[in-house]
Order: sequence, then structure tokens, then C-alpha cells
Amino acid sequence: EYSPFSGIEKGAVLQEARVFNDPQLDSRRCSQVITKLLYLLNQGDSFTKTEATEVFFSVTKLFQARDIGLRRMVYLIIKELSPSADEVIIVTSSLMKDMNSKTDVYRANAIRVLCRITDGTLLTQIERYLKQAIVDKNPVVASAALVSGIHLLQTNPEIVKRWSNEVQEAVQSRAALVQFHALALLQQIRQNDRLAVSKLVTSLTKGSVRSPLAQCLLIRYTSQVIRESSMNGQGDRPFYDYLEGCLRHKSEMVIFEAARAITELSGVTSRELTPAITVLQLFLSSSKPVLRFAAVRTLNKVAMTHPMAVTTCNIDMESLISDQNRSIATLAITTLLKTGNESGVDRLMKQITNFMSDIADEFKIVVVDAIRSLCLKFPLKFRTLMGFLSNILREEGGFEYKKAIVDSIVTIIREIPDAKESGLLHLCEFIEDCEFTYLSTQILHFLGIEGPKTSDPSKYIRYIYNRVILENATVRASAVSTLAKFGAMVDSLKPRIFVLLRRCLYDNDDEVRDRATLYLNTIGGDGSVVETDKDVKEFLFGSLDLPLANLETSLKNYEPSEEPFDIRSVSREVKSQPFAEKKAAAKKPTGLGAPPAGPASAVDTYDKLLLSIPEFSTFGQLFKSSAPVELTEAETEYAVNVVKHIFDKHVVFQYNCTNTIPEQLLEDVTIVVDASEAEEFEEVATKPLKSLPYDTPGQTYVAFEKPEGVPAVGKFTNVLRFIVKEVDPSTGEAEEDGVEDEYQLEEFEVVPADYMLKVGVSNFRNAWESLGPDFERVDEYGLGPRESLKEAVSTVIDLLGMQPCEGTEVVAANSRSHTCLLSGVYIGNVKVLVRLSFGVDSAKEVAMKLAVRSEDEAVSDAIHELVAN
Amino acid sequence: MLLAVLIANSEGNILVERFNGVPGEERLHWRSFLVKLGADNLKGVKNEELCVACHKSVYIVYTVLGHVSIYLVGKDEYDELALSEAIFVVTSAIKDVCGKPPTERLFLDKYGRICLCLDEIVWKVSSPS
Repeated sequence: EYSPFSGIEKGAVLQEARVFNDPQLDSRRCSQVITKLLYLLNQGDSFTKTEATEVFFSVTKLFQARDIGLRRMVYLIIKELSPSADEVIIVTSSLMKDMNSKTDVYRANAIRVLCRITDGTLLTQIERYLKQAIVDKNPVVASAALVSGIHLLQTNPEIVKRWSNEVQEAVQSRAALVQFHALALLQQIRQNDRLAVSKLVTSLTKGSVRSPLAQCLLIRYTSQVIRESSMNGQGDRPFYDYLEGCLRHKSEMVIFEAARAITELSGVTSRELTPAITVLQLFLSSSKPVLRFAAVRTLNKVAMTHPMAVTTCNIDMESLISDQNRSIATLAITTLLKTGNESGVDRLMKQITNFMSDIADEFKIVVVDAIRSLCLKFPLKFRTLMGFLSNILREEGGFEYKKAIVDSIVTIIREIPDAKESGLLHLCEFIEDCEFTYLSTQILHFLGIEGPKTSDPSKYIRYIYNRVILENATVRASAVSTLAKFGAMVDSLKPRIFVLLRRCLYDNDDEVRDRATLYLNTIGGDGSVVETDKDVKEFLFGSLDLPLANLETSLKNYEPSEEPFDIRSVSREVKSQPFAEKKAAAKKPTGLGAPPAGPASAVDTYDKLLLSIPEFSTFGQLFKSSAPVELTEAETEYAVNVVKHIFDKHVVFQYNCTNTIPEQLLEDVTIVVDASEAEEFEEVATKPLKSLPYDTPGQTYVAFEKPEGVPAVGKFTNVLRFIVKEVDPSTGEAEEDGVEDEYQLEEFEVVPADYMLKVGVSNFRNAWESLGPDFERVDEYGLGPRESLKEAVSTVIDLLGMQPCEGTEVVAANSRSHTCLLSGVYIGNVKVLVRLSFGVDSAKEVAMKLAVRSEDEAVSDAIHELVAN
Repeated sequence: MLLAVLIANSEGNILVERFNGVPGEERLHWRSFLVKLGADNLKGVKNEELCVACHKSVYIVYTVLGHVSIYLVGKDEYDELALSEAIFVVTSAIKDVCGKPPTERLFLDKYGRICLCLDEIVWKVSSPS
């Protein structure tokens, strides 16, 4: 098909551009060439710096022409060419002349071009004209100036802020779009001053705003003001009536914006939501897909927090399941799954069944998650829902999708005891035909845990044994382990399990045969019905408490000799940063991977670790372990950090040491601690580190006794003492003799915050009420001049060492006051709650009111003393 | 933020593209994604009938006008409703310049004017034609 640009080529067009230099300008021809240049740029082509400069210089000559169409093209191409600062000077005077031209379109476009290509210095020169343009009668000119102002605010804010008065006037303009642009610019100019924004919103919501676009902006700014004011106030929400009034606007965009703003109000009540939901319900049956999508998306979000409010829309949403647009249909389904009631579950499942085959995997996973939540909400309906899940498991799908379904079934089995038998059977049927080794092995492992506990474990054996016959080596090995578990846990099955395991001895794969051998020899008896020893069960199926990395290192270091490998020689110390790892583990969903118990905390690890050291085993329950405190700078020869473990009557300092010098081996490593500035502490025990080779972290401990229940504080200076032996890096062998040496470390303190555990509460108000005012203490303090309110708040939070609740550690920018809610557990297991109110004045002086409630008066006093000092 | 405006012909070749704050490597992805979206969903769609989609927390509103298809991509405050307003303005501008829903040839013939109008859009095109 014919195209005016067929065969177009950059070089040729650049040649053609020479026509700009002709003394007799042919306007039409020039316009055509510019069009071609634009076409090239719009196709993704680009000019080199030289080419752009050349074209730019030629284009500047076109200012001589009087043709309006050509002039407009010139403005366009100048913006595309983005000339540099020294090139811009050439056109400045022409553009400034055009800025005052009688032709409106010249004025508007010249302003936009100038503002786009110019820098601050020129801006001050033309500022006068820009201010005039903002209040120009012609809306095109006014909008051009305002929009340029919005762009310029990013680079030259001080200049644009001087135009406030003119912009304010433009907000009152009768032209809808000028009002829209002016409002946007005014809000941006004033956005750092909450009071000014609030005033702006107040005046405009009372008046009439003509442009629907401006109304939308106003609704957004109103929401922002509501958000900021509700942090302090109570009672009726300001501006709610305005938002509710907008629900009756003639423009759909405004109605929707208002509805959405209402649904997003923090702490919104059902009464406030009702009018918004009514309006969104009407949109659900609109003929325009955009409106349907917008409505269903918003209702979906509301359903997460207020499912009851959305139930009125269920009927309309059911008809959206068959919507042509798949996004709309998926959103409708997931919303129904959240808002559905028990009686409607069967009908809903029937409708969804046909739908699932139409949508992509990522949508399906969303639906599966919603079904799982629904099942947990209505446990009596597990049969229908789990049946549905097992059906879709049989259909086509990718790994992530199937994994999501399996995880959901597992969760349902765990949470709903009645569902166990049928759920396990569904999983068994799945592994008969599962293409993903990962899923098969996980399911077999799960079967091994849950199957033996059922009323008739034998019915699962067939499925498991089939895997030994039919599948790949990994799955076969897993199946062997599962069979063994059944045999170990269910005595009556032992004879038959033994028969099956004996057959596995002939398998092709090493691992399978090894496992079978192991189980046959340890489970006990020779296949008669006897109980398996508890220790054996623990050995075979208990969890390995050792970190695998340490086990691997120890095994590598073990040299074959008369003495067998001793697993007790493997250090149990978890390497540094246990907090981060444990936190990550806690976030994993409870699918097949993670155990059903709560997330293991770092305290558990340290607890076990310290208990295993005989010198510290009598200290009792570990209260808190601090985060590691560095005692050396980065890149030093020996890197040491200390973890402070707090017990009731003792503190144990765990020094984690690393030797970064390959040519050295350190032995008999101890820390000599000077506690002269910690009078209440008395050293009672140390545990030296026997050997510290290159790059293998090790621990040494020093324990102190302190008065019971007293949060003693003190400063500790430390010196690392050791025997150093030279090591030949090529052989890795150390010399016989060593030299005694010392290395000075930094000091550290035990502070009151070490005696406070960061434990949050989900509802602070309830917790505060239940603690009661008996041991409440309130006082006020002046914190003096501080860098900022935010800094003062963080300092106090760190000092107290307590957990901020309900997000109150976040201080809003530019606010003059802030309330912070903290909670924690003090040593002696005393619950403590703190309410902090901060205020800052213009001289940056911060005042703070501290209210403490706890279960013990002494503790409340202690908190105040902390701050007072 | 309005991230992109793309106009393509019925074969999926791009006639006009404008990106805003999208790095180079991502543009390639967007071009092919949008063209595929159109190929899958725009068959049989009437003139100016809007379609909407959502991809990675970003909204897309698109339509057909004559023989060209128009795509608008936005995020944050440029949600699907704001985009539908914006696309209405774009389609009106093109119709004004071409006199009717354009064939590809007509679009290319009026290319320069269309670029000008897309640049100068304020509300309904009020500049002299």
C-alpha cells in the first residue's frame, strides 16, 4: 500500500533539510521535510549530536517565514531536537518576540518551547511575560503557561512559587481546563504547607468547580487533607459530605473518583461506605468495560476489609463471571469468593468450573488462593471446595499453578481435621500422574507425616509403593523413606513394609538401595510386629539440629583415622545475622515446605546454643539476646562482634571472632574484659576458643553475674588475647610453636534497652485499657533543640528499646506534633506500654509527654528514669 | 503518570510512539506487548469502543479508529478512567484533522498535522486548521 514515507532514510532526509537554508523559503516544502524528520523520530530513530545541531541551526532560519502552519511545525521540531544551552541562545530572541505576538497560537507555543529548552537565568528575564500569560484571556495561552509552570517546578521551584497570586486567579477561571491546570499547579506549589492545602480545599469545596478533571483533583486533595487531619482528631470526618455529594455529579469520572476516595478512607465505617458501594454497583452493569473494570477493581479491594458491605453486589458480580474481558471476570470471581456466604458456595463453584479453563495461570493462582481462604472461612464446605481443587489439579497447568493448588490442599488438611482423609486421598491420586518431581517428593514427605496418624494407614501404601516401581530415582528414594515412616509409626504394618523394603534392595539407584538398607536394619525386629525404639525413630526421622554448612565443613576437615567421626564435634553455632534469616523463613507461606509451628526466633537458636555449654546451663531461661555489636572496624585483621545474652541473674557475652589473615592460626583465644566501669557485674566464667583458623568464625564467651532482677548497666573494655602460629599458605600446616599476643577491641555498654524485649501488640487501645491505670506514671520532659521531630522520635524509641505499634514510628513530614505508641516486655516478664506525645515549636525545641502503664510500679518508674537521665 | 502513547496500523507497525519516563530496554518490551494485546483483542471491535487491560500494576486503555489502533498506558493517578478521558481527546483530535476515522494512508498523509495536534492538545482542538 502506498505510504508517503515508504523507503524513507535518515541520510536522505537530512540532505533534504538543506532546503531550510534557501533565501526564498518554500513553506510547504519545509513543512513536509519537518514532517519526515518527525516521522523518523517517532519511529525510534535518533540523531547524533552533530546531526541534531546541524538541523537545529537550519531550522532557526525558518523563523523568517510568516506561514502559521510552518511556524507551528518549527516549534515542534525545536522541542524534539533538545538543543543544548549554548545553542538555545540563537532562538531565544525569536521566541521571546513570539511570546508577545498577537497570534494566540504563537504565544502559547512559544511559551511552551521556551520553558522546555531554557534554564534558570533566562527564566527570570521572561518571568514577567509568563505571569501575564497565566491570566491571559485566551485559555490556550493560559494553559500553556500553567503546564509549563508545572514542569518548571521540578527544576526552578523558587521562581514558580512567586507566581502564586496569578495561579490563584487562574483557579477561578471560567475555562474548565485552565481551572484544572491552575489547581494542579497551585497544589504542587503549596504541597509542603498542610495548612495552606487545607485552606485551598475548604474554599474550593464550598464553591463550584467547573471542570470534571479539576473536581477529580480536588477529591484527591480532599482525601489527603482528611488523612492528615484524622491522625489527631476524632468525631465526624471533615469533608465527608463533599465527597458524598460528588457521588451525584454528572460526570462518571468524578462519581468514580469520589466513590474510590470514600472506600479508601482510613477506618471507614459501613455507614460511610454504603452510598459509595451503591454507586459502584450501578457501574457494574455499565456497557463500558472501563467502568465495569474500575468498579469491580475497587469493590475487590473493599471486600478485603469489609466483605459484608459488598454482599449487596453479589448478584451483579455473578453476571460478570462471563464477561468478555478476562481481568474483569477474574476480579469478579475473587471478590465473590471473599464475600460469598456459606449457602452460595456450591453454586459459585459450579460457575467457576467452566471459567477456569479460559484464564491464564497467573489469574488461576489468584483464584486458588481465594478458594483456600474461603474454605478456611467455611470449614463445613470443605468437601465441595477440596473436590474442586482436586479437579483442577488434574487439568493442564504449569508448575507454579499446581504448587499453589497442592499448598492449598495441604493447608486445608492441616486446619480442618475432618478433611484429612479425603485430602490425603486426593493428593495420592495426584501423584499417580504428576510430572513435577518436586511436588511428588513433597507430597510423599507429607504423607509420611500425616498418613500414619489416620484411622487406616494401609490404604495409602499402594499409592506410595507404586511410586517405587514407576518413577524416577528421586521420587523412588522419597517413597522408600515414606514407606519406612509408615513402618516405624504403625507396628501392625511392619511385616508388609519389610517385604516391600526388601524388594527395594534390588533397585538400580544407590540412594534408593542405601535408604532401604538403613531402614531395614534400624526399624527393628526382622519384620515382626514390634515397636520401633523411640531413639531409632528420632534418629531416622527427627530433625537434624546442626547447621548443614557446619556439618559439611567438619566432614571435609575430618581425616580418616582410627577414631570415627564424632558428630558432637560439629559446632552448633549459627553464623552471624540469624535475625535476617529467621525473619525470611517466617514469611514463607505454610505450604509443604515449612513446619506448621510458628516461626523459630533467634532466641531459640541462641537458647539451645547456650544450654549446650555446660558452664552456662544453670543460668535459666534466656530473656533476650541483643543484635551483634561490632567491636572492630571493617577490614581489620581480626573481626570481632559481641552478642549480649541477658538472663535473670547473669549476662553472657558471646564474642564472634573471625581471623582474616591466611598466614595465621590463632589458638586459645580468650577475651580479657575490664569491668571496672560496671560495678554491679562480677565475672564468673569464661569459655575460651580452642582454635581460630583463617576464615572460620568461632565463638568465645565471658559470663558475668549481676544482681537478680535489676537492670544493671555498665561499660566493658575488651582485649583479645591468643597464641598466634604462622601458617604456610601453600600447605596449610601450622608451625609447632606460637607467640602470645594481644589485640585491643572497642568497648561496649550494657544499656537499659537491653532489658526490654520488643514485643508488639495488635490492638494498642485494648491492651492499654486492660493494663489499667494502677501502675500508670505520666510526666513531661523538655528534650531541648533537636534536628527534627523525626529524629527526636527515633532517638527516644531507640533509647527505650520498645516495639512501635500500629505504624506510629512514622512521623509525617512537616508535622508539628506526633503521638507514638510503644510496647514491650521488661525483664521479669513484665508487660509495658508507653504513650509518647511530642510537640515541636518554631525554635525546634521538642517537648515530650511520657505515659507508662505496666504490671509493676517499679518498672514504670524505671522507664521514666531512663528518659530523665 | 502517563507512560506511553502508541499508534499502530492494522499489521502492528508503529506509526507514532511517545514514551515518558520509560527506559530504553523497557520500551522494546512495551511495544511488543501492546501490539500483541491489540492483535488478540481488537478484532471486530467497533470504532472508538474502548478496551481496558491491566499489566504489572499499570493500566492500558486502547481502541480502534479507522485502520489505526491507539494505545494509552498509565499508572498511579492515570488510572483507567483518566486514560479513557485522555484517549477520547486523542481520537477526537485525529478525527478532526483527518475529517473521518482514517485509513492508514490518510493518517500518513496528515502525519505532520497529527503530530502538531497531539502536541498542542488542550481540550477540543481549538487551533486553526
